Amino acid sequence: MPYIYINIILAFVISLIGTLIYRSHLISSLLCLEGMILSLFTLNALLSLNINFTLSTIVPLILLVFAACEAAVGLALLIIISNTYGLDYVQNLNLLQC
Amino acid sequence: MKVINLIPTLMLTSLIILTLPIITTLLQNNKTNCFLYITKTAVTYAFAISLIPTLLFIQSNQEAYISNWHWMTIHTLKLSMSFKLDFFSLTFMPIALFITWSIMEFSLWYMHSDPHINRFFKYLLLFLITMLILVSANNLLQLFMGWEGVGIMSFLLISWWHGRTDANTAALQAMLYNRIGDMGFIMMMAWFTIHLNSWEFQQIFLTNPKNTTLPLLGLLLASAGKSAQFGLHPWLPSAMEGPTPVSALLHSSTMVMAGVFTLIRFYPLMENNLTIQTSTLCLGAITTLFTAICALTQNDIKKIIALSTSSQLGLMMVTIGINQPQLAFIHMCTHAFFKAMLFLSSGSIIHNLNNEQDIRKMGGLYKTMPITSTAIIIGSLALTGMPFLTGFYSKDPIIETANMSYINTWALLITLIAVSMTASYSTRIIFFALLGQPRYPPLTQVNENNPYLVNPIKRLILGSIFMGFLISMNTIPHTTPQMTMPPHLKFMALAVTLLGFTVATELNNMTHNLMFKQPSRMHTFSTMLGYYPTTTHRVLPYPSLTMSQNLATTIMDSIWLEKMIPKNLTTMQKTAASLVSNQKGLMKLYFLSFLLSITLGLLIAL
Repeated sequence: MPYIYINIILAFVISLIGTLIYRSHLISSLLCLEGMILSLFTLNALLSLNINFTLSTIVPLILLVFAACEAAVGLALLIIISNTYGLDYVQNLNLLQC
Repeated sequence: MKVINLIPTLMLTSLIILTLPIITTLLQNNKTNCFLYITKTAVTYAFAISLIPTLLFIQSNQEAYISNWHWMTIHTLKLSMSFKLDFFSLTFMPIALFITWSIMEFSLWYMHSDPHINRFFKYLLLFLITMLILVSANNLLQLFMGWEGVGIMSFLLISWWHGRTDANTAALQAMLYNRIGDMGFIMMMAWFTIHLNSWEFQQIFLTNPKNTTLPLLGLLLASAGKSAQFGLHPWLPSAMEGPTPVSALLHSSTMVMAGVFTLIRFYPLMENNLTIQTSTLCLGAITTLFTAICALTQNDIKKIIALSTSSQLGLMMVTIGINQPQLAFIHMCTHAFFKAMLFLSSGSIIHNLNNEQDIRKMGGLYKTMPITSTAIIIGSLALTGMPFLTGFYSKDPIIETANMSYINTWALLITLIAVSMTASYSTRIIFFALLGQPRYPPLTQVNENNPYLVNPIKRLILGSIFMGFLISMNTIPHTTPQMTMPPHLKFMALAVTLLGFTVATELNNMTHNLMFKQPSRMHTFSTMLGYYPTTTHRVLPYPSLTMSQNLATTIMDSIWLEKMIPKNLTTMQKTAASLVSNQKGLMKLYFLSFLLSITLGLLIAL
């Protein structure tokens, strides 16, 4: 497997670990989520260029569109949490059970 | 040369003479003050000329139909301008013209200080023209034009003093109640177009359709609206906000007769339809009793006379209901005279007492206003059916025929009670307005010196005394009146009238010695016009208005933009999520377990 693929997949794995392990701020998880999306996008683009399958050049674009929506949803959730609790500390989420 | 041929010509001449003053207002400005005399003279000449066709008709019984101008043909419906000069229209037109002449002369005195008196006369003349169009119409379209015309002129004339809120409200009320009746009229026109393809009376009566209940119900609704029958009656007492000449012309002699007149016109259809006859009878009986009850305790002299008009209209409906259209018509003609005279004399009293309309503040006018008090007494006697005055020749045959017909007994009893109440409230007017000591401020000058005031009243007095005799002696009855009946039925009308007189006189004499106590429930019911205006004018519009307000504000703003998608979606999702989730929000634990399971999976696989 070409080295570049291993590099980008490694970037993806590191971002994944960053999404799942974070200390207190929720926004760091969202940031690592964006990193995952970025690495996936780059992987998709390189792959469709190297295989010379021109019909699949649309796939990164679609991925980008959905990534934008997802980022918006994530930020909206962040804002709701921030409105309710004042900060985005993840330990707030189960402080007040309702 | 046969004189008979003059009937159509002279009638058209008479109608054209009436339109000339209107044309002069279009050509030059009517700022000159000889416009009044032009109008009055035009009406006088029109009256004189229209007498000739009437007399010719009495001599020869020759009807005439004039078909002038073909307006348009819509598919197979031919619309033209045509006049029907039969017994009804030829008798009514001179009477309407005579009364309008008297009222215009009276208005020269009554509205003397009004700056817009020229416009007042123009409106009166327009009203007269539209009324005559209604009376002489031979097809329903022309009749409807006259119908709407009198409605509009009634609106304009009731709100003559439009700075007063009550006048505007009353005019709107008149317009709305007339509109409800117009719905019935239009339904009738539509039915005749669909089933008989014509609006001409000749064709309608010739084809004599069998299932006429629906259009005749529409006609009954229209007459109820125009003639203030029960259910659509509150506009008539409220219409007294207009000047007294308007009340005398529109709301006593002519406009409110339009509904009854149209019902009389349709007598060939109505005599075959028993359902409609019974409905008319019951409606008329309820009207006459209810308005007579309400008239017993009113304190405004014009309202008493207005409710008396409504009661007599109910009596005319009763007459149509027992299938005697000609008697109803004769009663209409005679009623016009004495009712107009009652209104004119009440106008004379009102103006002379410096605009005082409350009968509790009148009194003692018997000696100071002899002509007016004579007029009121003669008018009241004619109204109650005193033998051999005018009302006798129309009211007594009605009661006799009702007694001897196969009729709903309840309607008959109610009509008789209403006849006795007629005598009671007439006595009340005479007692409070004319007799006793004066109850008005002593510095008012009371005089009857103006000939414009006195001459109309004198003419109408002559009419009230003699017209009944003249009309009934010169007309050929359509149906044979009942000649023999038991004495107690023959004297029934007279007996109930005398009963009403004596009871009212007793009660009125008792008021000299009584201390005023709180009015009883029945008294309040009668004074508040049966609570009918207070309830229906609020109960019926309020739900419609609130519903429309709520629809207008909520449909767009609240529902479509706010609630339909965003709020609904939020609540749905929130309830669903909180219902099915049993998580505790331990985010880091969940993420760590995710990571651990992925690593374990990868390690085991590899």
